[in-house]
Amino acid sequence: MTEKANPGIDIGWICNQCKAALEIQKIRLQYSRVIFALDLPACPRCGMILIEEGLATGKMAEAEQVLEDK
Amino acid sequence: MDDVVEKAHLNETESLCPVCLRRIKATRMLRGDDVFLVKECGDHGSFSTVIWRGEPSMAEWRRPKAPVHPDLCYGAVEKGCPFDCGLCEAHVQLPCSVLIEVTDRCNLNCAVCFADSGRREAEDPSLENISRLLERAMAAAGPCNLQLSGGEPTLRDDLPDVVEVARRIGYSFIQVNTNGLRLAADKDYGRRLRAAGLSSVFLQFDGVDDAIYRSLRGRALLDQKLQAVMNCGETGLGVVLVPTLVKGLNTGSIGAIVRQALQLAPTVRGIHFQPVSFFGRFPGHTGDEGRFTLPELMRRLEEQTGGLVKASDFSPPGCEHAHCSFHATYMHSAKGGLRLIGAADGDSCCSDDLGTKGVRRTVETVSRRWILPSAAPVSNRLPISKKTSCCGGSSPDATRVEGPLDLDVFLQEVATRTFTISAMAFQDADNLDLERLRGCCISVISPDGMLVPFCAYNLTSREGKGLYRRRNGVGPQ
Repeated sequence: MTEKANPGIDIGWICNQCKAALEIQKIRLQYSRVIFALDLPACPRCGMILIEEGLATGKMAEAEQVLEDK
Repeated sequence: MDDVVEKAHLNETESLCPVCLRRIKATRMLRGDDVFLVKECGDHGSFSTVIWRGEPSMAEWRRPKAPVHPDLCYGAVEKGCPFDCGLCEAHVQLPCSVLIEVTDRCNLNCAVCFADSGRREAEDPSLENISRLLERAMAAAGPCNLQLSGGEPTLRDDLPDVVEVARRIGYSFIQVNTNGLRLAADKDYGRRLRAAGLSSVFLQFDGVDDAIYRSLRGRALLDQKLQAVMNCGETGLGVVLVPTLVKGLNTGSIGAIVRQALQLAPTVRGIHFQPVSFFGRFPGHTGDEGRFTLPELMRRLEEQTGGLVKASDFSPPGCEHAHCSFHATYMHSAKGGLRLIGAADGDSCCSDDLGTKGVRRTVETVSRRWILPSAAPVSNRLPISKKTSCCGGSSPDATRVEGPLDLDVFLQEVATRTFTISAMAFQDADNLDLERLRGCCISVISPDGMLVPFCAYNLTSREGKGLYRRRNGVGPQ
């Protein structure tokens, strides 16, 4: 689920498929039973979300490890 | 409804005759919403014991595991399960926890005691003997979590030395199962245990009402329990509260125990409920009337906490057999918010193949959740004062929190604010299911150096004859 956080602000990324400028949107990411709310770049047309490597291998990986259950 | 129509045959397993302990066939039988283990011994007749009452149903409570067999087996397959434990190569799970009884002495004389401790004059096993047993357990089971048990382990003045020995051998998560009396009275003893490398305290904690302790443990103990938690917090030891649940005695206190535990967080890391089993020493066997099954406990948790925790929060285990336990993990914020962060239902998150991965994951998860993290601010480590901690307290009342969560806040709080609620249903001669036993991941290292699944080690016939304890001699060698 997404909604616009700061529409119209150019963050320097273009959607390869739609050629539209990505904008920061409020994104909900679910892992297991926890839903995280994050502001992330997303394409306003197709909804594709950009998760940069630092976030994926940093905080998101850390959260995933914590949530891995026995 | 016709009785014949009402009954549904679920599936076959094996059990023992509760009188002569002979292995016999058994059937899991559905009657209405309840499941019974039905079996018949040629000499002693037929037996029926309730093993599961109501929702979530036993049929949906599943988490299949790929069988894994111990590489090093101290028991040879000769007589068949459960008479060859060592473990033997027919076992289908590896241990995630090893338990060693470091004394048979006890300073209480509880109505309930799976080890039937404190009745005999027995010498404690020597440090050298304990070292030998722990090395033998390590060789076969690997770096499991270690439980120091008894008797009452804290009666040993040299328990810190036992912890040091275990650390040297390679055990990295070491917990002590205790009634807490010495930890309450002797703060320095706790410090010495912590300094030696003790990780966590499994504290017998049956309720927040002294009438419960008088009935179950022989005297009022609540003040000492709370003092023990306070001393552990100051020492940096995490505590898990372990209530033994006896139907009609403290099964109405489940919600109060949860509220109390949350008041004592983060020192108290969680609660591990243990419905009473009929082995060792127990108050009169009341048959099915006295049985308190896991689904009943899940529902009581929801009812008695007013929905603070929900029955649907709980998942079957990834390590032991699904019918043996349940668990849920929460994040408990300093403001009192309780948020479920546990795994999704077993079927959806864990395909069908945990195998050794399940055991190692359990070892790591339990270590992480039940240790009091050093990152916890000192002020947070201290439980509230004894005066205010019982039946209320000064911390905000816990309220359930749901909905989206900020990732940064989650990462900041989760290291110190996790709280687990779990339960384990031990098996006795009446409800023993050998399929569950073969999937057991908690082994006792016996005085003669065999790894024996916990329930097999403690199992006694209706006349009190032990399956393993007596064979090995009573009490530690």
